[in-house]
Amino acid sequence: MLRYIKEYRFYIILFLFILIPIIAIDTSTRAPREYRLYDRVIVGITSPVQTAISWALEISVSFVNNYIFLFSTRSQNLELIGENRKLLNMIINLRETQEENKRLRKLLNFKESFSLETVNARVIAKDVSTEFRVIRINRGEDNGIKKDMPVVNSEGVIGRVLRTTGKTADIVTLLDLLSAVDSIVKRSRVRGIVEGMTDEVCHLKFALRTDDIQNGDLLISSGLGGVFPKGLPVGRVTDIVRQPYGITQSVEVRPSVDFSKLEEVLVITGKMDSPIHVAEQYQQQLTGPKGKKEEPES
Amino acid sequence: MRPVVLKTLNAPILVIILTFLVAIQSSLFNSYPLMYLQPDVVLVAVVWSALRRDFAEGGVLTLILANIAEIHSGAPQGLYLACYMAVYLAIRILSRFFLFPNLTSYIGLTLGASIFWKLLSLFILHLLGLSANQWRHTLVLLLPGAVMVGIVSIWLFRFFERFDWVTYKNPKAKHADDDILIDEEGWAE
Repeated sequence: MLRYIKEYRFYIILFLFILIPIIAIDTSTRAPREYRLYDRVIVGITSPVQTAISWALEISVSFVNNYIFLFSTRSQNLELIGENRKLLNMIINLRETQEENKRLRKLLNFKESFSLETVNARVIAKDVSTEFRVIRINRGEDNGIKKDMPVVNSEGVIGRVLRTTGKTADIVTLLDLLSAVDSIVKRSRVRGIVEGMTDEVCHLKFALRTDDIQNGDLLISSGLGGVFPKGLPVGRVTDIVRQPYGITQSVEVRPSVDFSKLEEVLVITGKMDSPIHVAEQYQQQLTGPKGKKEEPES
Repeated sequence: MRPVVLKTLNAPILVIILTFLVAIQSSLFNSYPLMYLQPDVVLVAVVWSALRRDFAEGGVLTLILANIAEIHSGAPQGLYLACYMAVYLAIRILSRFFLFPNLTSYIGLTLGASIFWKLLSLFILHLLGLSANQWRHTLVLLLPGAVMVGIVSIWLFRFFERFDWVTYKNPKAKHADDDILIDEEGWAE
């Protein structure tokens, strides 16, 4: 027996080398692998390195931006002051709408829940391949983050939690080809699934050829699917191709989040609320306790 | 005794070094537009393993390194294992028919391996039904990605060469030590 094994050693090893990857490809789920114990050990080793490099890069970029490239700071400052005024006006309008909404809800005896728990996190790494768009953040199970929790920022939907370790979590972004967000066109209420396509754009699937979609239309999350709350901005329609045949139309969507400049994210760990309340929460987090004090209590 | 220990530690240390290199790769190249120029350090190591290790050791190293890459990616389970193993076996076959005598030939081979790897991953994704609209993106980044891997491989191959020398993995290293000893004892001409 041993003699045969020795004689056919090469072929046995070759067979194993071919067999192992084939077994590993899970054709039934087509999903990224879950972390096993030894995976967690490796991530435990690499994540501090990734955090350190990410921090060093940020410091370097910050130094260059804050001390070297100051050519247009004044004009930018003036622009931002103007923008800030506009945003403050918008918040006041939104608050009015929310108050009205509250009253109407009370009339309809709807139960409201206002707890929105979020965890701030920093992006420490991106996918090793350019084909997939998964990012890694520096918060994990220790901070209450679990699989499939929605991840957003002030611009809109970023993605969902793919898998976690104690200190890190992988986020499958909207641009990833494994991502799918049930969305509706805000103007015409047409439904479809936004799926990742390239590093910059997604596409809207299952939109019927006769559906009313126009360039510039805003897509928001529909709330179906159980991951994202209803009303969060997903992206804008940038290109539509309607063939004279077929059932569906090809719709290209540019995400509302600028993924090329993504540094910090919010993981929603608690119950969801109305988009207006979400916006206020963001505003509070952006302005901090000082901004909170200035706001009139409603 | 020391050469034997170092030779035994060669593979585990190489895996640890590459784990750190993957961490550096994924965090250093995470910002725009550097993300489009991300080099594949695992691919370079797989090419090295195929050319400079015996069949079993190189294959096991390939599987371990592919697994490390997969942990740091959102790729479907097993995709990297299959692609890197295919690259490994293809290079083993090529090395039976062609000679790769110097660094330039290694770099050329790595460029080809990078293109082969990307096309193969696209093909497997297609088989899994996940490659919708992905082919255009892959083809656009095919050559820039290969060039970047080629550039990085210049330093990596030199590093691997030096590392194998220091850990006595390269058989010539032991002979060189023996020559020095003979030289010190006055036997050399």
